Amino acid sequence: MTDSNTKRANSTLWIGLLVTVLAIASNFLYFFKFPAAPLPWINLTLPGIGLIFLLIGVVRAFSQPRIYRGKIWGSIASVVAALVVAGSALFFVGARKMPSSTGAPQVGQRVPDFMLLDSTGQSVTLTQLFAASPGAPPPKAVLLVFYRGYW
Amino acid sequence: MAISVDAPEDSEHLRSKQGYTFTFLSDSKREVIRRYDLLHKAGGPDESDIARPAEFLIDQSGTVRWENFTEDIRVRPRAQQMLAAARTIR
Repeated sequence: MTDSNTKRANSTLWIGLLVTVLAIASNFLYFFKFPAAPLPWINLTLPGIGLIFLLIGVVRAFSQPRIYRGKIWGSIASVVAALVVAGSALFFVGARKMPSSTGAPQVGQRVPDFMLLDSTGQSVTLTQLFAASPGAPPPKAVLLVFYRGYW
Repeated sequence: MAISVDAPEDSEHLRSKQGYTFTFLSDSKREVIRRYDLLHKAGGPDESDIARPAEFLIDQSGTVRWENFTEDIRVRPRAQQMLAAARTIR
């Protein structure tokens, strides 16, 4: 039997675990002033890289058990990383399932006026939003923000 | 101005909680959302139809001067982007 103290630390497992944790943490970057455009890709590549490192580490732990540690915790971490990869991939695909909106108003086109209830229950038209409020000049533009709701 | 499928009272709750001073409009019938071709079928909870995120800057003549459609529900334009677009309108 080999003395476990003579075994080497399995560094690829640690790197893989670190990258996987970073991958999970990267999802929270959306809440900070981080450029959002590359984020969905970072969320996908980081867990993939973490998984590759973990798999190399686990293969090393099993093929050279006399040299490397990490058979048990390396396997557990790999399963967790695989789940993170699968979850990220699923979420990545789901988050990008957008309607094409080819019929939406384009730049230079006029938008149709409409009337809807505001949050106090009053009817409001788009035209009304361009009206001057007391003591202020009329707005030069209105920003229409369509959002998903259910906040 | 913000539009969603939320009922006026839900929008009012969000508005007052966040301290927003702009107008929130409720399109629970998905009327305007449909007319602007922004309906995301089954995109909401329990397969409900909701609006996809989209932003339009409209000038006084009712013409679109800037717009943005996200390809990913996790990605939205930054406030600076929208302010920069608004500054181009004199």
